[in-house]
Amino acid sequence: MPTSRNPSVETWGRRGPEVVRRNVEAVDSALANLHEVTVPDEVTANRRRPPTVPEDAPDFVQKVTRLLMEGQGDKLPVSAFPIDGTWPTGTSQYEKRSIAQDIPIWESDLCVQCNFCAMICPHTAIVSKVFEPEAGKGAPDTFEAVPETHTPELVGLDYRIQVAPEDCTGCGLCVEVCPAKDRTQPKRKAINMRPLEDHREAEASNLAFLRSVPDVPRERIPRDFKSLPLLIPLFEYSGACAGCGETPYIRLLTQLLGDRLLLANATGCTSIYGGNLPTTPYTVNADGRGPTWNNSLFEDAAELGLGMRMGLNKLVGRARQLLEDMKSNLPAALYRDLTGPCATLDETAMAARREAVGRLRDWLADQQGPEVNELASLADELCPKSVWVIGGDGWAYDIGYGGLDHALASGQNLKLLVLDTEVYSNTGGQQSKATPMGAVAKFAAAGKETRKKDLGLLAMSYGHVYVAQIAMQSHSNQASKALQEAENYDGPALIIAHSPCIAHGYDLLHSPAQQKRAVDSWAWPLYRFDPRRTPEGLPPLQLDSVRQKVPMKAYMQEEARFRMLELRDPQRYEQLAAAASDAANEQRELYMQLAGIHFEPHERLNNPDTGAEHHD
Amino acid sequence: MTDLTTQWLGLNLCSPLVVGASPLTDDLDALKACVDAGAGAVVMHSLFEEQLVAEQMAAHRFIDSRINTDAEARSFFPESDVFAMGSSSYLKRLEQLQSSLDVPVIASLNGISPGGWTQHARELEEAGASAIELNLYDLATDPSDTAITLEQRQLKVVRSVVQQVSIPVSVKLSPFYSALPSFVAGLEAAGAHGLVLFNRFYQPDMDLDELELSREVVLSTNAELPVRLHAMAMLFNRTGLEMAASGGVHTGDDAAKAILSGATVVQVVSALLAEGPSALARITDEMTQRLSAMGYTSLVEARGALSLDNAPNARTWERLNYARLLQGWQSMR
Ligand SMILES: Cc1cc2nc3c(=O)[nH]c(=O)nc-3n(C[C@H](O)[C@H](O)[C@H](O)COP(=O)(O)O)c2cc1C
Ligand code: SF4
Ligand code: SF4
Ligand code: SF4
Repeated sequence: MPTSRNPSVETWGRRGPEVVRRNVEAVDSALANLHEVTVPDEVTANRRRPPTVPEDAPDFVQKVTRLLMEGQGDKLPVSAFPIDGTWPTGTSQYEKRSIAQDIPIWESDLCVQCNFCAMICPHTAIVSKVFEPEAGKGAPDTFEAVPETHTPELVGLDYRIQVAPEDCTGCGLCVEVCPAKDRTQPKRKAINMRPLEDHREAEASNLAFLRSVPDVPRERIPRDFKSLPLLIPLFEYSGACAGCGETPYIRLLTQLLGDRLLLANATGCTSIYGGNLPTTPYTVNADGRGPTWNNSLFEDAAELGLGMRMGLNKLVGRARQLLEDMKSNLPAALYRDLTGPCATLDETAMAARREAVGRLRDWLADQQGPEVNELASLADELCPKSVWVIGGDGWAYDIGYGGLDHALASGQNLKLLVLDTEVYSNTGGQQSKATPMGAVAKFAAAGKETRKKDLGLLAMSYGHVYVAQIAMQSHSNQASKALQEAENYDGPALIIAHSPCIAHGYDLLHSPAQQKRAVDSWAWPLYRFDPRRTPEGLPPLQLDSVRQKVPMKAYMQEEARFRMLELRDPQRYEQLAAAASDAANEQRELYMQLAGIHFEPHERLNNPDTGAEHHD
Repeated sequence: MTDLTTQWLGLNLCSPLVVGASPLTDDLDALKACVDAGAGAVVMHSLFEEQLVAEQMAAHRFIDSRINTDAEARSFFPESDVFAMGSSSYLKRLEQLQSSLDVPVIASLNGISPGGWTQHARELEEAGASAIELNLYDLATDPSDTAITLEQRQLKVVRSVVQQVSIPVSVKLSPFYSALPSFVAGLEAAGAHGLVLFNRFYQPDMDLDELELSREVVLSTNAELPVRLHAMAMLFNRTGLEMAASGGVHTGDDAAKAILSGATVVQVVSALLAEGPSALARITDEMTQRLSAMGYTSLVEARGALSLDNAPNARTWERLNYARLLQGWQSMR
């Protein structure tokens, strides 16, 4: 056997002697522990590989998805694909990877029902759920539930934290943020990482049971940040990196907007883990409805979303027109129920609207004529929908910026969510205009010299755009508020979301603490800019971060992208760190002034009628 | 006026007041100001064995382990052999301080395993360090680890560092030894040239709200000085090693007391961090005034004047126990 010592030095020498020593030690102990395995003359095992997808998976998953997962996609005939370009969602649940060695196991006696674990999980692999105690009957023996005792609105329901053992990546974030500790043994929390093999079977059947338990009506769940994770997530088990900081934002969005969400997705990580092949994490609720997702290119997501919005406006306009034309024949109550106010976040109104659309369909079934048929095909458009554009910083700050700007300027009711990892993550860490000063990235190997573009400020300059900067791993309250304010705003909104990523070079287990440092150092200030405040005489900009609580370096020193520069060129690092600190100070001064600006209360005069869909 | 020049580890210093190991190493302007204010030498913050290892392993784990693992991206950082995770940035800093400061620069090493890291001592010498301060810190948590094995391990570390270099090596100790004089004799035999008494640590504390441990930098006060004075007074004349005081020096009187108990050099850190480099000028002035007023013309005259060997009521150094003091008071009646 050739000695592998020299390759260790060649490959790892640049990292230092300790890395070489450990690699050599690993090789040596591998050699020392070799033992012979005798291969029997004939096959004696009677175990078989488990099927790629479970036997109860839907037909499409058996016939198409399975082959894609097995790498046999080329064998599929064109006739196997849906004819209209659509693709079924809800398929990631059939791709059981079981990649974690340890998974979180719940200790119900300690749990304080804060739902932080479910809020932060990048893979929706741990969920919190409330349900009628009756519905828990017939559960597996290991399925434990406790009365919900922390939210007055939910009294009488049962509560359970459930891991998806075969979808968990073992990142540990849920345990990291769990605040509940055993008083005599504080190492023991309300969830603890335990070996997958000890719990896999039991938790898999618990999960299957929990998924079959009916959800309580959406309007029962309060919309504060602690309760939001109780809403059913329609984005689950994505293939993002363990610990990814982008995915929780998307999951939260699907929890807030559920089946009324239309997504235009820029190409990038979001479209890779969010896309349809071989499986898609976007899924449907018990009624079979879920987000609609589309991806065109990298650069045109905002335009795609704008087109979706304007197309929807046309359809809604036409449906309303038809409704008006039939008003004299329609039962008055039905007409009223189809035209009253209905905001996408108003669950009671949305449920009533869906029910009214059902009645409209029943009524239309008894009518005759081409317009009747047309309205029947458009009836669903009477339920308001929300269009969100999702993409990374490479799209929003750089390559798709023109389109993003165009979409904001349009004044349309369109929301843009920028998952800002401060580099092109998916292609391997190239700098973007969102890369902060002093960070090492591809094409900025000596550390980026210029400031991060202030995308939020550019958007604020329009005056009619709702803008927020958020950081949900550490400040989920402010993030939840901003997402809901943006959705409720009848116009364009831009949300810039701090997204920890493996391209930052640290253990993402620490991302909640590190993100807090980013906020506290003003590397990532939190704010909300709401144009609705201006007519009231209030400054539209509200700073959710005020003071600089830790020095910029306290944030920078924790990530390899900054440390690489510090180690290579300490002087340049000092200069850039000082310049980054100055930049943050200047930005803070400017923002404080904007947040202190005074307007006289006034009517908005030339509120442009954009023809956008207003929440009637 | 007292002549402040002194000899420490064979180096000629213009003053016994020395900037101790601290983050000031990273602030060239502050160090220059300290030297202008009269500092006799500068000790750099430590090059930590633990940190060197952690840094290399972190880079390995978060950069190297992600190379060629993704269908979309070959890696997530620029080609990484352009920088090395090791002592190089420390060495660069050392060279920079050496060339921009007019006083000796002493490098500091911290580690406990007698392994390969001691080779960094040679790198420090080659980069121009005037001396090495070796910070020994070892915490026994294993019940089978006796005081003797621990001390033997530390002496081995000292020997291996001393063997690597031809510049003098001083050893910085923690205050927790049951028989300090005998251990110090061992250090002398191992080839050390000086002692720094004592190290001071991050203070682990408890966060009772979160039910977890916390760690904070708490600057010293001069309440921490007496334990240093005591150790130096006990060792003066009983060891061939020169002594530096470290810990709790905030005023000129504090520095004077350190010298009177036997210190050759007096290190200052907390006062500088709290007050800035001007603290050095203040302490120098106060100390000089005090020593001059006491009639000392040189530091040699003052050094150890109140040590166990020289103090008029020297037994006070030994009578630390309340019970005995009470007895003494009773017998006075
Ligand atoms: C923030 C800080 C960092 C320090 N870093 C080191 C170090 O790297 N190596 C070391 O040997 N001592 C270090 N020390 C200890 C000081 O050198 C000194 O021994 C101790 O602070 C007592 O002196 P003082 O009372 O004057 O502060 C540090 C102290 C502080 C406050
Ligand atoms: S370990 Fe990570 S992936 Fe698994 S449940 Fe917890 S947060 Fe989710
Ligand atoms: S984070 Fe911990 S305490 Fe909070 S809901 Fe999850 S398991 Fe319970
Ligand atoms: S590269 Fe970054 S943004 Fe992309 S999936 Fe991985 S962690 Fe998430």
